Amino acid sequence: MAIDVTKLEVLLQQFVANVSHVQGAAVVSPDGLALASSLPSGMDEERVAAMSAAMLSLGERIGRELKRGEIARVLVEGEQGYGILTSCTEEAVFLILADHDAKLGIINLEIKNVVGEIRKQLLGLAQPVGL
Amino acid sequence: MEIMRIVVTGPVGAGKSSFIRTISEIDVVDTDRKATDETAAWKTKTTVAMDFGRLHFGKDVALHLYGTPGQERFDFMWDMLIRKAHAFILLVSSHRPQDFRAARRILAFMRHRASIPMLIGLSHADNPAAWPMDAILLALGYPSSHHRPPAVSVNALEPASVVNALAALIEAYARDKWQNSTDSIKMHSFSGVM
Repeated sequence: MAIDVTKLEVLLQQFVANVSHVQGAAVVSPDGLALASSLPSGMDEERVAAMSAAMLSLGERIGRELKRGEIARVLVEGEQGYGILTSCTEEAVFLILADHDAKLGIINLEIKNVVGEIRKQLLGLAQPVGL
Repeated sequence: MEIMRIVVTGPVGAGKSSFIRTISEIDVVDTDRKATDETAAWKTKTTVAMDFGRLHFGKDVALHLYGTPGQERFDFMWDMLIRKAHAFILLVSSHRPQDFRAARRILAFMRHRASIPMLIGLSHADNPAAWPMDAILLALGYPSSHHRPPAVSVNALEPASVVNALAALIEAYARDKWQNSTDSIKMHSFSGVM
């Protein structure tokens, strides 16, 4: 089954809208092309995608080089909040942006859940999303 | 031990990762990912952050080689890497004239951010479809043979050829340093730059 990009976009929009403190989300290919996104206005999807791919690949490389094992996620914490990258499938990387009041435990659980959904969409296993 | 940081840049598929892999004395730190963009048609993997390799040059110089991604969407990596570089190499595939514009854009990008010595390395010069060196330099914006950076043809898979290119770059670097130190009282010593 073909990947339904619209459903993927809807999934991301719902994630951003429903999970408190999450400001944006994107699914990108490991070589830095955007597959779907729901980002704060003014953020360039193409750049975000390339940066996500670069950061995850460097993170994974650091993990390997410094013997940290498989990398579960790469996290950037700034004054204004978090950027968290998670490997989604072989073909996709998942980025979320959250503000600084976000509770990391909750965010991590939410990421786990939505990554499961995204994976289904990307692998073409999904039931139609109930809208 | 003095460290000289060299950035290896150029369009997709020019041979940047190969160049570094051919000559590095350490296991190259690479960030290859499966290509899914238009480059997937002719190469399977593409660099998404950087390559890093290292080698000793002479007794007391260590060369640190940083390879950039080729696609413009990774220009933030170009920016990060060039700002700390002492010199850079622009690799261009001689047989892919469709890439010359991209090469010129990269060149402008780097020139804008760093006035450091550079070298143009022409790869795939033995390909039957390869353009002659003068024509490529013209396409890159160097119409006259004066005021143009040194250019050499390089086979990124051949250690002797890669060393030759690095030697030419280091020569350009040394010449530049010498000129700077005689042009002004301000001394640009090797360690001073770092």
